Amino acid sequence: MKRLWLIPLLCVVVIVPATVVLAASGEGSFDGVVSSIEGKYHVHATRIPFMGLVSLVARGATHNGVGSLHVAEIEDFSAPVDGDELNRMVEEKLGLGWERIVRDTSSSGHQQTLIFAHPEGARMGLFIVDKDSNEMDVVQVSVDPDHLNEDIGHYRHSHTD
Amino acid sequence: MKNRIVITLLAAATFAATAAAQTSPLPLPPQVEKDLAARATNVTEVTLGKNMLAFAAKFMNNNKDEAATRQLIQGLDGIYVREYEFDKAGEYSAEEIAKLRGYFETSEWSPIVHEREMKSGESTDVLMKTVNGESRGMFILSAEPKELTIVLILGPINLDQLGELKGLGGLNALGNVASDAHVKDKEKTKVKKDGDQ
Repeated sequence: MKRLWLIPLLCVVVIVPATVVLAASGEGSFDGVVSSIEGKYHVHATRIPFMGLVSLVARGATHNGVGSLHVAEIEDFSAPVDGDELNRMVEEKLGLGWERIVRDTSSSGHQQTLIFAHPEGARMGLFIVDKDSNEMDVVQVSVDPDHLNEDIGHYRHSHTD
Repeated sequence: MKNRIVITLLAAATFAATAAAQTSPLPLPPQVEKDLAARATNVTEVTLGKNMLAFAAKFMNNNKDEAATRQLIQGLDGIYVREYEFDKAGEYSAEEIAKLRGYFETSEWSPIVHEREMKSGESTDVLMKTVNGESRGMFILSAEPKELTIVLILGPINLDQLGELKGLGGLNALGNVASDAHVKDKEKTKVKKDGDQ
């Protein structure tokens, strides 16, 4: 009975780091945006299976240049989308710290592109929502420009050799 | 005591509202942007603040070709592009263009290119911001019958390097603007009429 106070303490100890890790990886915001889109437009998003593994491979292959990769694909999304509404929804779900850098919107509602960026120290988080005529892709990725540039540089050199 | 709380809350709300109002980097009233966007069939917005430009600069190499561009980008405070495409001509008026240009008619901004093609209805305006004799910004307004492009660059600008920015999304026109600005710097506010010659 005396140790009952340990239960809330353990909850705090377990929940707080889990929340911090989830928020830091951006998984929460990614799922939040995808779920909101699914709910609002009555569509189903396909999460690419083994994305965690793919992300790990990408991180290794790019020498830490690309990581925390999340991808969701929504097919048969032919309904028009109000650009302002989509933008508001994504902004709200991403929360503070994310800055919209590109927005391309058509009045017909069939083409929408949003790119948000979020500085993460030396890295930059990018969040992309792209809707074409009947498909929408949602991608979140974290890139390290220095490492990525080094890798791209290798390809440039080998291409010019 | 209650009054003090109310005053504090009001002050906080005023401060928050002011801060929020200052988040829009373009010195254009949001209503102008909204009106144009409402009539356009396609709207493209590029907003690159200082942080984003610093990030973009990291993607450039330190070799001779890209080092100058990298330096230019790192020194800028922001690049803002708004492109409105319309399905037919006449979706915006000459008064609206004059109004847009009017926001930059202050002592700091001076026109360096002012071109009108009466036949095609196209116009280009380039204004330069100068502080203590140094270029600190550039505003470009390019109007075609079915397209309107606004580019605002803030920060120290070297016209010789400006053309290098055309590789960045939405800034293709900068290559021409940079060379135009050089040629037309001395012929300020020249109105070009077709059939004059």
